[in-house]
Amino acid sequence: MNAMEKPDYGTYPTLTFDAARHAAQRLLTLNGAGAPAADAMLLRIERFYRMEARLLDSEDFRAWYDLLADDLFYWAPLRENRFRRDKRPLLDPGHMALFDERKADIAVRIGRLASNLVWTEDPPTRHVYIIGNVEAFETEIAGEFETHSTFVQYRNRSEHDEATLFGRRRDILRVYNESFQIVQRLILLPQATLLTKNLTTFF
Amino acid sequence: MRASELVDSERGAIDRRIFWDTSIYERELKQIFARCWLFVAHESQLEAPGAFLTTYMGEDSVIVTRGDDLGINVFLNSCPHRGNRVCFADSGHGRSFTCNYHGWSFNLEGNLKKMPKIGLYKATPGFRMEDWGLKRARVGSYKGLVFATFDETAPTLEAWLGDFRWYLDAVLDAEEGGTEFLPGGATRSVLQCNWKFPADNFSGDIYHALWTHLGGSEPTLGRHGGVVVQNTGSYQVSVNGHGWEFNDSFLGNAATMGDRDLLRYMKSRRDAITTRLGKFRADMWGSVASATIFPNFAFLPGYFTFRTFQPKGPAKTEIHAWTLVPKAMPDDIKDRFRRGSMRTFSPSGILEMDDGENWEHSTRANAGYVTRHQNLCYAMAPEGQLHDKSLPGVVHSGQLSDANQRLFYRKWAELMDGENWSDIPLSPSTMDRAEAAE
Repeated sequence: MNAMEKPDYGTYPTLTFDAARHAAQRLLTLNGAGAPAADAMLLRIERFYRMEARLLDSEDFRAWYDLLADDLFYWAPLRENRFRRDKRPLLDPGHMALFDERKADIAVRIGRLASNLVWTEDPPTRHVYIIGNVEAFETEIAGEFETHSTFVQYRNRSEHDEATLFGRRRDILRVYNESFQIVQRLILLPQATLLTKNLTTFF
Repeated sequence: MRASELVDSERGAIDRRIFWDTSIYERELKQIFARCWLFVAHESQLEAPGAFLTTYMGEDSVIVTRGDDLGINVFLNSCPHRGNRVCFADSGHGRSFTCNYHGWSFNLEGNLKKMPKIGLYKATPGFRMEDWGLKRARVGSYKGLVFATFDETAPTLEAWLGDFRWYLDAVLDAEEGGTEFLPGGATRSVLQCNWKFPADNFSGDIYHALWTHLGGSEPTLGRHGGVVVQNTGSYQVSVNGHGWEFNDSFLGNAATMGDRDLLRYMKSRRDAITTRLGKFRADMWGSVASATIFPNFAFLPGYFTFRTFQPKGPAKTEIHAWTLVPKAMPDDIKDRFRRGSMRTFSPSGILEMDDGENWEHSTRANAGYVTRHQNLCYAMAPEGQLHDKSLPGVVHSGQLSDANQRLFYRKWAELMDGENWSDIPLSPSTMDRAEAAE
């Protein structure tokens, strides 16, 4: 990419409103109902997640971007404290969110970081991203797997600035070129009040 | 020490201790947060009787409800029996609030209605249920925004907002049918900073955008200097410490969301909004602008993020943010604002992420004894005050200026030192005179 030429993010892959809502509904229904993936497939998926975490820890966002499918739906809803009797759905794709992204939006975020003008990332943040509790299930679509995992994401910068976020992920992974693409990702952070100032990071 | 000695609003020199000193912070809770009108809700969050939400007024936790009479009630969220928090949900719907500790129960107006073994109290000489309700605040609203104060002697909300209302209509009354907050509760995040740094920033600091947000605006506006800010066709307006800096670009802020369909829609509304508000205020709708309603309620035209900077100690602030849209806006455009405001001004926002570290270190540096005994420079004054009678409030031409921030701190000092509201000068409202004359 020519550094002087602004990418036209308006031409980058995105989803229609209806396709995004459909993807959200699919993520909300994922509950491990399918047949467990074969052991060899689970191993491949775990290997993929370790590689993905390493790319994010090393700020190799271009390589990470290439793991995303063109029909990506990437969603971190807000969490709310509600009484158990409250009948409203806890997660609603029409509600405000922390991330509600298509592939083009991820490109904008990576463009920000790549601008070399983000003073609050210079000196850079140090990241450690740990993925665990990985489960994988077959879905009704051949070549697409439903996965559930947990994460710890630690960030440290400057002298005392640190943030530790725990959470759960639900993914749809698509088999692609001997590896996988991330098609849909639901990120569930337990914090209803984010106890850190920003999410200058990807999950 | 008097606050007026810490704030030189003429020269623009601010003593750094006001961002660090615990005794000053405690005085702010009394003099400012227990007296001023504070934003608590948008009416759209409380549509049906029984709807409630919880929020803060200063460090006081409060419950906001829609009563059966459709009135909005605000009262303390702390049981008068042993003090426990009464409501632990952020929002919901119900008829009563029951304390977890002993089961005292309060209605939508905060009145004590029942408790387990009520006979023990009925047998208690002199005990009256009506003496032990949840303390209520005064409530007022302006075009959907609900404010409250615990000070019985405070001026009316109308007097407090004064002529700032004329400008507020640029975002609250641009379209027929009123406004609403997009659904989903508040986006909440914690910053290790003094609440006044974000509050003064929104009241009048577009200057920081030219440097702080170079990276955040680069993907959507282009490399270096994509944010066009200059002192022609731009203004700072201040009324009673509330401040709004803006230009006449109509959609300059909105452009950084990088959504062409959304900008196309906004342009399609320009003529109608101009007819409704007149050209001057229509041009403010989505322009390069920011505003603070004193002390801690702020918003950004164009993204339409509205937020409170909740004080949590001298060096800790919680941001609670919502997105406001006209009710009449088409659903797909509302959804574009939902995602656009999130991607720019939320904890994951490409612009908001640039800000937090600045305010944290502006605060933290004052741990140094020598450092905190220095002044901060709020001196920038390249343009003079504008005496255009058609524009209410204290108007300075040029949005690149510290004028509003100096007036923010002047009001801050007046409130900190003023024992009574009669000691605190408020601008006479020309709006009410005009309306009375009609």
